[in-house]
Formats: sequence, C-alpha cells, structure tokens
Amino acid sequence: MRIRSLSLRQFRTYNRLELDLPAGPILLLGANAQGKTSLLEAIAFLAIGASPLTSVDQQVIHWGAEEASLPFSHVRAEVVRRDCTETLEVAIERKPLSNGHQRMQKSVRIDQRPIRRSNLAGHLNVVLFLPEDLALVHGPPVGRRAYLDNLLSQVYPTYVEVYDAYRHAVSRRNALLRHLRRHGGDPMQLAPLEERIVRTGVTVSLYRQQVIRELTIHIDRLHRELTGGQAWLRLQYEPNFDPVRPPAADQMGLLPEDAEERTLDVEALYTAYREALARKRAQEIDRGMTLVGPHRDEMRFISNERDMGTFGSRGQQRTSVLALHLAELRWLEQTTGESPVLLLDEVLAELDRARRNYLLDLLGNVEQTILATTDAELFPDSFRKRTTTLRVSEGIIIPVETP
Amino acid sequence: MTTAAVPPSVTQLIETFAELPGIGPKTASRLAFFLLRGKSELALRLAEALQGLVNNTHFCSTCYNVTEADPCPICADQLRDQQLVCVIEEPMDLLSLERTDNYHGVYHVLHGALSPLEGIFAEDLRIAELEKRVREGAIREIILATNPTSEGDYTAAYLVQRLKPLGVRVTRLGRGLPVGGDLEYADAVTLSRALESRQDL
Ligand SMILES: [Zn+2]
Repeated sequence: MRIRSLSLRQFRTYNRLELDLPAGPILLLGANAQGKTSLLEAIAFLAIGASPLTSVDQQVIHWGAEEASLPFSHVRAEVVRRDCTETLEVAIERKPLSNGHQRMQKSVRIDQRPIRRSNLAGHLNVVLFLPEDLALVHGPPVGRRAYLDNLLSQVYPTYVEVYDAYRHAVSRRNALLRHLRRHGGDPMQLAPLEERIVRTGVTVSLYRQQVIRELTIHIDRLHRELTGGQAWLRLQYEPNFDPVRPPAADQMGLLPEDAEERTLDVEALYTAYREALARKRAQEIDRGMTLVGPHRDEMRFISNERDMGTFGSRGQQRTSVLALHLAELRWLEQTTGESPVLLLDEVLAELDRARRNYLLDLLGNVEQTILATTDAELFPDSFRKRTTTLRVSEGIIIPVETP
Repeated sequence: MTTAAVPPSVTQLIETFAELPGIGPKTASRLAFFLLRGKSELALRLAEALQGLVNNTHFCSTCYNVTEADPCPICADQLRDQQLVCVIEEPMDLLSLERTDNYHGVYHVLHGALSPLEGIFAEDLRIAELEKRVREGAIREIILATNPTSEGDYTAAYLVQRLKPLGVRVTRLGRGLPVGGDLEYADAVTLSRALESRQDL
C-alpha cells in the first residue's frame, strides 16, 4: 500500500500542509527540528488513530493553535491499497463544556464516514523506525508493551477494543482498591471488575503471545542474515500473569525451549487468573493498585542465550532493533497481504555500510518508503537516482531535483 | 460579568444558574436578565416553586423516589404489583418506565451507579436499603434496569451478587436498548420490549 496525498492542519510544526507523495523511496531532507519526524509521526498517527510518540493527544497540536480559543489538529491521507483507495482522517479538537471547561475530542473518519477508532485497524499499515528505538531493547518494559500494542492495533480492531476495556477496568479497580484501603467498604465490589479484567486480560495476553511467536520466526532468520549466520535472536514473551510457568522460572529469567508451545483452554486461563488476583488481593488493597496482568508484561530479546537488553553491546542492540522492524515488515505483509508503508527516521546514519546496503536493497520490494535524513550523502547515487527528494524547512516542503 | 455595573444580587443569580447542568455563563445571564426585565410575578413564582421543592419533597422511605407523601403514591397503590421491584439509577428513569404503560410493579431508586473513578461506591447508593427491602418484604422478582453503560452493567453485576444469595429472582432488562445510552432517552416501545424480554441472572 502507499500514501498518495497527505494533508495536515495544525499538526506539530505544520500549520498547514498539502503534499502529494509518489510510490517508491522518498527522501525527506532537512536540518533537525524542521518537521521531518512530525511528518512520519502524522502518517503513523493515521494508522492507529493515536501518536506512537506520545500518549497525550493534545501534544500533537501545533503550538500556534494552542493560542486559538478552540485548538484543533487534523490529519488526512489518501491511501492506495491493492483493491481500493480510501481517505483516512483523524481530528482532535478541544470542545467547550457547559461548565466552562474544555474537553479533548477525537474523531475518526474513513471516506468521510465517522467510525470508531478501533476500526482504523487494517486500513493503513506502517513500520516506523526511529533512532530512539534502541530503547526498545535496553529501555524499560513499558516501551516494549507500547510497541506491541501499536503493532497489534494496526491490524486487529478487536485488540484495540479489548485492550481499552482492560485498561478501563484496571483503572476502575485501582480506584476501588484505594477506596477500600482508606475507607473500607464491601470488597465484593471488586468481583465484577475482576471478571472484566480476567476476560479482557486473557485476550490481550493471547494476542501478544501470538504476535511475538510469529515475529520470532521472522526475526530469527533476519538476524542470522544480518550477522552473517553468527547469531540467532528470538523474542521471549514473559506475561506477568502466566498460569503455566512455575514460579521458580521467574527468578531464572529464562524459559525452557518448549515454553512457547503450550496450549491451555481459555476457561482454565480465566480460572487461574481469577485465583491469581484473589491471592494478591490483600497486597493490592495495601498498595492501591492492580499488580497482576498484561499491563505488567515483559518481552525480551534473547540472542545466543543472552538477554540483549542487559548484556548486548550497543552494536548488538542496534542489530536487534533493525531485525525487529524488518520482522515487523514481513509479519505485516504476511498478515495483511500487502506491504506496509516504511517510515525510517535517521536510521541509516547508525548502521555500518553492509547493513545500510542490505536495508536499501530491501526497499526495492517495498511499495513506498519515506526516509528522513539530515545527510543525503549517506545514500549512494544509484539509490538517489530512483528516489524522490523533498526538502523540509520550517514546516514547508519543496521537491528537489535529483542530481 | 465583571463590571461593577451589575449589582451583586444579579451576579449571584447568574452564578447560581450557571451551576445547573447544561447552562453556560451566557444562558445564565440571559435567564437572569429575563427575570429582571419581566414582571416580578414570574420571579416570585419561581422562588415559590423552588422553596416548595426544597420544603415539601423528600425521598419515599420505601423506594427512595422523590415524593411529597410517604410512602409515595406508587408504593401506596395496592393495584400495583408490590412484589415486583424495578431497580433504577435515577428518578428520571422512573418516568421513562411509566411512559411505557407496560410496567405495573414498583420501583427502587439507587440514586446513581457504581463509578469508582468518580468516587461513587456501594455505600453511596441506596443498596443496603434495597437489600433490607428484599430481606423484609415478600418480593418475588427484582428487575435490574440500570443503564446499559459500563457503570450500569457494573452496578447490575454487583447487585446480583448481593441479592442472589437472598433467594430472590433477579432479572436484567433484555437487549434492544442502545448500548452506552441512558434509560432516560430510550423510547417507550424499545423500553417496553426490553421489559418483556428480561432475562434471569
Ligand atoms: Zn415509594
């Protein structure tokens, strides 16, 4: 699939932008802080109806718009897929309330028809690769969970809905736990929320388990290719709530080889999850928060029996992230039957010549790639000849003649 | 309304109006000046009505609906089925159900729904009173008619836990009500159908 045109209003650095985009590789050239990353972010924003860079919608609103009485931000793109062309739109605006306060409201449309955010899934798929993605390997687990959620949300509407319901139930339960700690009250109020948490939480977990298992198949092959056959890599899912894993494995940090193979029927998972919540209940009331569930999941990058997050060198971690994003590309192709739009931000500068060429070769098979860079010299002439170059400067974009 | 040109008694009325749901500062001043401009007769009638609201109404000690008499006319009506109790969130919901002309039991008003994020818990609702009513009275069936929202569903699920062990039949309004909507806005036909298709819990 590819993006034929993009329209931004009051998005980050862009006051207003109308841009036609060709197929094939596109080079976004410009100094830092001119709007390259924001353009990639805007496209990714349309894929899931939320920014992958911030959990606060309001932050994408153009700073000038903040001064306006009712600030808004609007992103629209024409997406060409194999069998159709659609216009996707996401708008966020601040609506006045009768009590004088304002509320952020997000609306999502496909071909001008309003839809639920979850139904954006499957209409535009992107692989976004940022320099700070190195933190996916060595950073805190919250980043890895967000990565998985963004990927699953691009493809499965059910995941978006179930995960929203899960988070809502957990925040309600946390508020109730704090109330029980401070003021007492009937602990039976927990049960209906726990039932909701159990049912949605198990589904979230199963989706994550599945995508990690499928990504691992690709990542292992790609990592071997990238390391000249020297090192394998696999993703290891460590669900916070896992009814099968013996508690001792928690401390060891590593799972037996066959751990991914197990299957359990869903009812048994519900029961075990309910029991796990019951066991922790006293502690949870004490802490005023839910301690069991997928909001505390972990995913590790294991290469040659070592956790890359802890033991990997900078270079090894970089290779792991590259392999992850390439696996993501393959997974999206396989799952949706179409190649996603590739969005690469300053990625080449970090790679050695061999990896750089490997990546550039691979772009030949992708329908559309947008590469943001400060340095056009990183790209060989042969590549630039078949590339559209756009110069970005202070939120304005102009085409550049190819040398 | 920051100018000194507006006397405090007017400002105070405007600010009071603005505290009402659905009324912004603009409408509030329009209302205040309307009362000011018109004959004092309307303002006095309004004052009297408000006084009556405060002084003459209270909650029915059985069903907690708003009433002037205790028990309320519905609880006192021997032609109604006193063994069938419909549990609702707000007094407004009672009006919707009465409009269907298809319900002849009595009510129990919770005055809200469980909503931990808004700080509303079981002890803030008329739940203990409902439980007491079930324990003491000859109640055949409880119909849970809380709103089809996540708060309403949560409240219904919690009530089932509290009431089921008492041996009473508990049902929930059937499908057909718009999910996420309020009972208050459901039309009479839809509500009637939901009543008829209620399911055991
Ligand atoms: Zn009554």
